[in-house]
Amino acid sequence: MPEKPIPENDPIVTKSLAPHYVICMVILMATLFWALWDEDFGQRPWKAFQHEWKSRYSAFLKTARTQSAESQKEIENSPDYQKLKQDYEDASKSAEPRINELREKLREVGAKILAVQDGPGHFTDRRAYVTAATYDIETTSSASSKQSMQRDLDAYKAKPSTVEMPDGKVQTFKDFAALEDAYNELKNERTQMSAELGELLKPVTEKKELMDSYLADHMVSLTPSQLLNLQNSVESLTPAIRQINVNEHAANLEREDSAQIVDRCESCHLGIREPVKLTAAAMSLPGEKPDEFARAFTSHPDRDLLRIHDPEKFGCSPCHQGNGRATTSVEKAHGTYEHWLWPIFRPGNYEAGCQICHSADMVVVNNDVGWVVSEGKDLFRQRGCMGCHRYEGYDKEPEDLLSIAQEIKLLEQQKKDNLKQADDFMAQADKAATNEEANHLNDRAVALKVENSKLDLRIMQLDRTTKSLLQDMKKVGPNLKDVRLKLNKNWIPVWLKKPTDFRPTTKMPNFRLNDEQIRAIAAFVWQSGLTDPLPKHKPGNAAHGKELFEMRGCLACHSIGESDQMQGGTFAANLTRVGEKANYDYLVRWVHNARERTRPYCPYEKKDIGPEDYKKKGLPYVFDLDHSKCPNDGHELQVQNMTVMPSLRLSETDAEDIASYLITLKKKNPSDYPDASFMDDPKLKEEGKKWVKFYGCFGCHEISGLEDEGRIGTELTTEGSKPVERLDFALLTEVAQRGGKEPITDPEDLARLPEGPAKEPWYDHKGFFEHKLAEPNIWDQGKIFSDETEKLRMPNLHLTKEQIRALTTFLVGSQEFPLSPSYQYRPLDYRKDIQEGWWVVKKYNCMGCHQLIPGQRTILMGLARYQDAQEQLPPKLLTEGARVDPQWLLRFLKNPALNDQDTNRNGIRSYLQVRMPTFSFSENELGKLVRFFQALSRQPFPYIPEEVPVLTAKETEMARSLFSSTAAPCLKCHATGDPAHDRTATAPNFLQARGRLKPDWMEQWMLDPQAISPGTSMPSGLFKRENDHWVFSGPTPPSFQGYDKDHTKLLVDYILQLTPEEQRRVASAMGRSSAANRSGSSGSNASGSGGHGVSK
Amino acid sequence: MDWNQLWQILSAPDNVPIIAMIPLLAFYIYLGGKQALANDKLITELEANPALAKTHHRKTWPFRPGWQKEVHVWPFLLRVEFLAAIIVTIILMVWSITLNAPLEEPANPNLTMNPAKAPWYFLGLQEMLVYFDPWIAGVVMPTLIIIGLMVIPYIDTNPLGSGYYTWKQRRFAISTFLFGFVILWVSMIFIGTFIRGPGWQWFWPGQTWDHNRLIYEVNRDLPDIFGISSNLWKGIFGAAVVGAYFLIGGLIVNGLFRRSNPKDYKRMSLLQYSIMMTFFLIMVALPIKILIRHLFHIKYVWITPWFNI
Repeated sequence: MPEKPIPENDPIVTKSLAPHYVICMVILMATLFWALWDEDFGQRPWKAFQHEWKSRYSAFLKTARTQSAESQKEIENSPDYQKLKQDYEDASKSAEPRINELREKLREVGAKILAVQDGPGHFTDRRAYVTAATYDIETTSSASSKQSMQRDLDAYKAKPSTVEMPDGKVQTFKDFAALEDAYNELKNERTQMSAELGELLKPVTEKKELMDSYLADHMVSLTPSQLLNLQNSVESLTPAIRQINVNEHAANLEREDSAQIVDRCESCHLGIREPVKLTAAAMSLPGEKPDEFARAFTSHPDRDLLRIHDPEKFGCSPCHQGNGRATTSVEKAHGTYEHWLWPIFRPGNYEAGCQICHSADMVVVNNDVGWVVSEGKDLFRQRGCMGCHRYEGYDKEPEDLLSIAQEIKLLEQQKKDNLKQADDFMAQADKAATNEEANHLNDRAVALKVENSKLDLRIMQLDRTTKSLLQDMKKVGPNLKDVRLKLNKNWIPVWLKKPTDFRPTTKMPNFRLNDEQIRAIAAFVWQSGLTDPLPKHKPGNAAHGKELFEMRGCLACHSIGESDQMQGGTFAANLTRVGEKANYDYLVRWVHNARERTRPYCPYEKKDIGPEDYKKKGLPYVFDLDHSKCPNDGHELQVQNMTVMPSLRLSETDAEDIASYLITLKKKNPSDYPDASFMDDPKLKEEGKKWVKFYGCFGCHEISGLEDEGRIGTELTTEGSKPVERLDFALLTEVAQRGGKEPITDPEDLARLPEGPAKEPWYDHKGFFEHKLAEPNIWDQGKIFSDETEKLRMPNLHLTKEQIRALTTFLVGSQEFPLSPSYQYRPLDYRKDIQEGWWVVKKYNCMGCHQLIPGQRTILMGLARYQDAQEQLPPKLLTEGARVDPQWLLRFLKNPALNDQDTNRNGIRSYLQVRMPTFSFSENELGKLVRFFQALSRQPFPYIPEEVPVLTAKETEMARSLFSSTAAPCLKCHATGDPAHDRTATAPNFLQARGRLKPDWMEQWMLDPQAISPGTSMPSGLFKRENDHWVFSGPTPPSFQGYDKDHTKLLVDYILQLTPEEQRRVASAMGRSSAANRSGSSGSNASGSGGHGVSK
Repeated sequence: MDWNQLWQILSAPDNVPIIAMIPLLAFYIYLGGKQALANDKLITELEANPALAKTHHRKTWPFRPGWQKEVHVWPFLLRVEFLAAIIVTIILMVWSITLNAPLEEPANPNLTMNPAKAPWYFLGLQEMLVYFDPWIAGVVMPTLIIIGLMVIPYIDTNPLGSGYYTWKQRRFAISTFLFGFVILWVSMIFIGTFIRGPGWQWFWPGQTWDHNRLIYEVNRDLPDIFGISSNLWKGIFGAAVVGAYFLIGGLIVNGLFRRSNPKDYKRMSLLQYSIMMTFFLIMVALPIKILIRHLFHIKYVWITPWFNI
């Protein structure tokens, strides 16, 4: 190259590449080391966790040990422990000499065995040679070599062995057999001595165990020695992947449903299953805030859950999700990256994991309250989500009804065909050539008729099921066929505009309707309503009505007052302004019996049946649960309003009073509403129907002509496992993926977001559900529409933050089942009854009045009215199944008045002002409820009552003395049927015990009522334990001398045989003595020997 | 300008080879070109000065007393190659440590990814599917490419330019290669990687890859523009157009080739020449098809029941 001077020497030959090589090799080696480091640590970040764990956990254990050493010392000084210790020391001392002797001998024998066994030419060596040679002989094919080998072996066996014994002596064994014998002899000797030693040690170790377990039982935390063991195991910890591997069907890998859980979570989360409670603060470095390591090392917060769901069987990821196999980074392991479809559940939605397996449960945890996922499941029904969205398990009745109706139609067609064919056969038989043939055809015709009778029975059965289903089928909203009877016409458009403006807590969501839509919908609803006349009622006493309203328990479901003035439950409507919208006569009917329908509906003919239909058949126009057959076709009718509101069995006058009170509840006069006579415009009706269909109003309301419409929304059963790409974020996809600006701008909707305005990317299920629930039309943002029908239909449910969190948790956990079906919680035993029962209990808001879970607050408990009158609260049902006879419970639930004539009362607790209503449960739900209560108390089902022994005259006398004892005057609080007395009674009548209560429960109740129903006014300590028997605590008459049975049992038997006469006798006898007392102080007379007063 | 989108595409582990390829390609073309130009200069010099040519044996280096006339492969070539091997090893190791294999979610046949992209080296083929039917783009063209590459030594009759870079002596070969490799293959890979977004739609760099994007585009077949409706005539018409392309294109290329490479033309047999011509025309047809697709929205030219071109 001319530009550069040409070098003197040939550069290719003379130039050295050594520096290049040196540099490259250095870099290469560096990358090699980097690769090794990466292999060992870079790709295994859990090693750093384990390293850190080792140091932090042992530091933690050290401090824990000093603390627990002190408490151990305390326990060791207790006399019980000292006694155990003394026992142990005695035992070990007495056994000691012999033990030492045996140990010495064992050592000697051991040495001898070693001497005989080891070394060249000794036992092991020679035996190896002999067995190998024997194998050769066995496998040699030629007979001659067999013989020669056998000769060699015999010669080998015959050779003597010399062994130097441990004591220095040299012993010679004459051949292999002698050596073998000596060896076996020694081993036998050792076995015998070991066994003897074991026998000797056994009592000593047992004592030691007693001592240790006493210590362990009385220590609050672990004992120092347990902690020491933990510490030793921590210190000897070597870094290793900790893996849970569950493979249910290891033998059959091709099965798709085989549970293959491989979870390595514990490689970093080392503290999860540690026996001590570890918090992030405890695992932090001294003086520092909890860091990544400290948070990872905490133990599982709910040990009970972990005990039920043993990680060895369930792993971690089935509940928490995330990528259990990944170990290379936190992000990968938690599955929070784009390519893992099941990211770990976030803190607010942890309980979503429950839903995956417990989808069949309405209440996930039976004995605890405040579970977010249970609340979500409840909300899904209460707010009527299932009116638009199908969800497996919710609101099954319409679908079942439809399929049954189909089946009935098919069967009837078949019947017709059979009849026709039978006639054909008969006709053919008449013309048959031979007798034989005629008989044959006849037989076939008969067979078809028999077949028809079977079909008839099947249809009857289906009709029965239909009846149950029709009874069970409920709608969230009211029946709109009754609008003309019920509502103030002018109020309807105002309500439709924005329901929350009228009633902020309503279940009715806001539909974003424009004025045309409102006019059309209102017109359609109005014009499709029934116009039957309502019976007129005279105005009632509003003041009495108010009292009744508050007294009878209406507030368990309904509420009165707005915002912070609100009192009562949110299960049903807030009635603060009901007077503005409702018609008085309708209210009276509703309050009297909400289930009363204007006209029955025939699902078979798909129309409302009126008096004209009955008249045609000459039948009286009567329809109720006992008269539920359609006059036209004989199929089951819908004879009830599809509301869960029960009948309180009020008298007509009471109903009038309450309605009169309700009608006074208003903020402005009904006449102040602007005129809405456009609703009578028939031109608007079709348009209105279109919008009603579009918005799916029939999901929650019964609407004429739209009874059989299907749900308009998407099915949500497995919404949580829908790929995120299938969730339509519309124009907000980029926004959601990148985070940044929160698209919801409406301040009310913004306040609904559980996590507040989005700061980070929210392109996942959680983000979608939360945003959708907060502002259901959010995905319409920025879109241009040519027609209203293109917009999103979902209305704004005006949920709170907590409600959205609960619903999101429920939906995120609504997944296609990823594990083997055996993991799904679908029990077949009593737990199934519990599972099914909760659906009914929640459906009718039983928990508004009754406590079913310890710690659960009922709505009534929160009312001011009951703060000082706890005994006026409805009974707690914590042990209902153990308390009552299921047959009785069935009767009671059917008719809580327990009386066919006088129904305006409580059947059992006549002293309660709050009323147990009649829910008109179907056979189906009655069965579920009764089984539920039995199962909840783990009672055997069916229940066979034990026979109550007949008491002798003496026993009766003794029992009576207990029953009427002044120390515990039973009849003072328990009702007797005497109206004067019952006014002050706070407990049920004893006469109702028979056939109702279970004797075992009664005994338990007398012994410790507080354990069964905390806060009850039934006194405790009535009986004490003496000589292994329960004895009355108060003074007993001399006749009890020598009576050695339980007094409780005696009293229970007496109560179960109590007759009204006997009770009256006792009461009058007591009345004389207590009358004097009552005039004195009412508090002192109840205090028995136990000093337990009866709180009033 | 959506920088976020651009960065996401550029930083995807799948795209690292392509990102690296573009500067590397430019660099090596530059390097080769530089050496070729230097050689060409020398060649002119030597051709003009036979005396100098005698003393020059190692091409660019002029003769020096004491210099060897030829050097051995071992160690003088192999030591350089070994050094290169070490450097490549280092690069591969660093690469494999820092970037993990871009694995994705478990396959779900009900939900395919969008855009679904082939590995980067096949993206050119995938891009071809836009312009031809799968049978042509997926089977015929790749086969022709492979056969075409195999055929090169047999139709290359130019004895010059082996063992050193030169432009002057191999103008046709080099420009054909650069056209086929850089213009067609690499740029199609580039388009497939950076331009094609969701729905395989055309997104300019920096445009947001919006899954909801809608575009209005009507592609028609050439016979439809001429109002031909019968299938038979469509086939005949298409065959005529394609035939005309080969005829006219062949004549043009023939004219150009004879003028610019008369020596090569003379050296080649008829068979060699016609094979070269066929492959060359097919290669040129590809960008022509791309252009008429993008400029005139013409989908297919020749429609038959068996294949579409």
